Amino acid sequence: MASTEPVVRVDDLRVTFPTLDGDVRAVNGLSFEVPAGGALGIVGESGSGKSVTSLALMGLHRGTKASITGSIEVTGKDVVAATDRELRRMRGNDIAMVFQDPMQSLHPQYTIGDQLVEAYRVHHPKASRAQARKRAVASLERVGIPEPGKRINSYPHEFSGGMRQRVVIAMGLMCEPKVLLADEPTTALDVTVQAQVLDLLDGLRRDLGMGLILVSHDLAVVAGSVDEVVVMRHGEAVERGDVRTVLSAPEHPYTRALLAAVPRVEVSRAQRRAADRAERAERERGVQRAEGADAAERGGFEPFTPAAPAAPADGEAPLLRVQDVAMCFKVRGGLWGRTMDFWAVKGVSFDLHRGETLGVVGESGSGKSTLSRMVMRLVEPTRGRIEFQGRDITHMPERRLRPLRKDVQMVFQSPYSSLNPRVTVGDAIGTALRVQGERDTKKVRLRVQELLERVGLEAAHYNRFPHAFSGGQRQRIAIARALILKPKLIVCDEPVSALDVSTQDQVLKLLSELQDDFGLTYIFVAHDLAVVRQISDRVAVMKQGEIVELGDSDGVYENPRSDYTRSLLNAAPLLDPDEARRHRAEREVARAAL
Amino acid sequence: MLNYILRRLGAGVLLLAIVTMVTFWIFYVLPRWAGVTPEGMAAMYVGKAPTPEAIAATVDRLGLDQPIAVQFLDFLRTLLLGTEYTFGRETVECAAPCLGYSFTTNTPVLEQLLNRLPVTVSLGFGAAVIWLIGGVAVGVLSAVRKGSVFDRIAMSLALVGVSLPIYFTGLLSLAFLVHTWDLFPVPRYVPLTEDPVGWFQVMILPWVTLAFLHAAQYARQTRAGMLETLGEDYIRTARAKGLSERKVIFKHALRPTLTPIVTIFGLDIGLVLGGAILTETVFSLNGVGKYAIDAIVAKDLPVILGVTLLGAFFIVLCNLVVDLLYPIVDPRVRIAA
Repeated sequence: MASTEPVVRVDDLRVTFPTLDGDVRAVNGLSFEVPAGGALGIVGESGSGKSVTSLALMGLHRGTKASITGSIEVTGKDVVAATDRELRRMRGNDIAMVFQDPMQSLHPQYTIGDQLVEAYRVHHPKASRAQARKRAVASLERVGIPEPGKRINSYPHEFSGGMRQRVVIAMGLMCEPKVLLADEPTTALDVTVQAQVLDLLDGLRRDLGMGLILVSHDLAVVAGSVDEVVVMRHGEAVERGDVRTVLSAPEHPYTRALLAAVPRVEVSRAQRRAADRAERAERERGVQRAEGADAAERGGFEPFTPAAPAAPADGEAPLLRVQDVAMCFKVRGGLWGRTMDFWAVKGVSFDLHRGETLGVVGESGSGKSTLSRMVMRLVEPTRGRIEFQGRDITHMPERRLRPLRKDVQMVFQSPYSSLNPRVTVGDAIGTALRVQGERDTKKVRLRVQELLERVGLEAAHYNRFPHAFSGGQRQRIAIARALILKPKLIVCDEPVSALDVSTQDQVLKLLSELQDDFGLTYIFVAHDLAVVRQISDRVAVMKQGEIVELGDSDGVYENPRSDYTRSLLNAAPLLDPDEARRHRAEREVARAAL
Repeated sequence: MLNYILRRLGAGVLLLAIVTMVTFWIFYVLPRWAGVTPEGMAAMYVGKAPTPEAIAATVDRLGLDQPIAVQFLDFLRTLLLGTEYTFGRETVECAAPCLGYSFTTNTPVLEQLLNRLPVTVSLGFGAAVIWLIGGVAVGVLSAVRKGSVFDRIAMSLALVGVSLPIYFTGLLSLAFLVHTWDLFPVPRYVPLTEDPVGWFQVMILPWVTLAFLHAAQYARQTRAGMLETLGEDYIRTARAKGLSERKVIFKHALRPTLTPIVTIFGLDIGLVLGGAILTETVFSLNGVGKYAIDAIVAKDLPVILGVTLLGAFFIVLCNLVVDLLYPIVDPRVRIAA
């Protein structure tokens, strides 16, 4: 780092998109610098302009209607003023980019070798194919693809998500760029894979002396990997400075709020609940003082009473009893197209008591979604037994299952695709009531509106369509839809993983309040360890279709018994930069030992 | 891979067998249900003034009074093993695969079909080349310059192209381009092997007419597919590598766009090879389609049956080729297969 000249300098960047409702300023006067070999984190929630900024750095707004003012210099060259030809010469050569979704960012119809070779030869037209290929193998080796000489002929779909992201990084490294720009490189990945990719980026930066710009919505993701951080909101940088200073002593209230919203693995369920209840009591006192005391009694729902601790009375039958359930799927494959058995879930047992929350954590492919679908009886278990309220529902026919359906509801992951865009919010929520036999339209409407208010929306939203709502609001609608039938058990399948941290925090609060109010029982499926800890009384850790650890949530998190749980916890992103680096060192030692 | 090919081949043969059965059912069983007697069916084959004796002889010779099952087995045997037809002293051999004997033209059906096939194949392949290249090129340009004047004109023309039937565009071009302005010779088919230039001159107008209809559809498909592909993340990756726009479009965006096009192309070409009835009729080309329409007018059952089977054969064949090409076009299919 001999030169003090920054490799990236952005000065008063403004990006404006013309729309029918007037211009939208996606980025509004942003400035930052990245020194050679330095690392900068850009953090902001969706709509903060962070992705627009990273596309602008690559000059990828060319050909769209965006207008860009200010200056962007990459290795001393002006990106805004460069001709198309100059710009193409910079892309991949001076600055390379790693994208969010590795499943989508590689061309499905070319081998990864072809794609890597192409990335090199476009900037080195004189290089022979063999030379470029040799380089590609070296690059794949550097990012940790096993047997790169063989794998170079594989197609992207033959790799897992984490491996694909490594391939994308390898492609970025082909021309040894001065800066690597990674836009949410780990958002689509599992925790352990996320840790691997972040470790890789960190190592490459050190080994190659490359500048790194890491863009993320999650402060904890950038904390351990960057020197400096820019916090963005509404297209502006609200705070910029050394990562340790920003995280330990944030100046701007927005940064403070963002930090407070990040779920922390070290905060226990009890702490979180106590804090939420105190905050709520405070809020409610304020409301009652303002409105008078008559606002409390409403509709068919009981008023808020701090619920008794979830601990079940001894001898009471569990609400749900799952005994040794397994699910087998037939997979076509092999040379002769034979079907093979794939056990998505193999032998899982647990009891769930009224008012309790069971967290299910696991990485993709661990069988957690299949398990929740079996509990919902959306699929029929191949083996085992499921009892709900003492009744065996394992193989119950659909017709007899229907009356029970109102007691078990589900909240899905994507708030965007789980609501029908052509059905108004009121109808989406009210349909379930009508299906269960309620004829009085007025009554349905009233109930739905009450519920809308209860989940933090407005009664006037009844006739709006889903597109008018943000992700967090949609998830509230989905929760209202699950609540309308007053279910006893709600299965939440990754309910907050598609949301920004602050929205995530609000939804978790809502779920916890609703549990207090209605005595709900939750099964909370998620891949995020911190989120699961804060909402669950007990936690089941799943791996390859089996529960490797099941126990009291504080116990599992503080004294994990299984190695797998320990490795998951070690991979969880941390807000403290020094702690995060220590974990990284531990992981490196563990990897070296393998 | 071999297993995959064998399975597809097996499915193709099965499909042909089913088509054969259905065709037989339509032409031999359905009329009976509608109340046509064996004599009535035989009457179609016996010249203009059928005598009762001639009809009875024909019924006997064709086995029209046999039970349906026996007739079907006869039909199958003829198809697979061939047969001989006797007319008084004369015996005509019809080798397998024998599609029957036309009594209006007094020739074996297959021989006639094979004689006319070159015309249809010339027409089909020539038109296919034009519509594929033209349609895809226009579609790509339209997508890349979305909203431009070119795009608007091309898409309006495509809409017109899809809506105009061949007997309209064909007759119009005949009337003006051939007869009024003398730009093209009056169509009279010349085999490629005899006079390549003449062949080309005669075929160009039918090609363009037939291609226009299909090209319009291909242009719209390509444009829609291309627009979708251009929005994919991997196109952004390609741009971020520093590739030129031409490479981004033709190497990265066109290939995924062509995948569904290959599928419809296989179907379309199979359909055209089975006889482009309208085009052949309008341009008086003596191809399979013309043969079929003549047979329908003359109620020449064996010919109609033969043409139907030939058409089915081409569709099955082209689908098979597409299925086998698919793993090459899209490597993801290889694993799934």
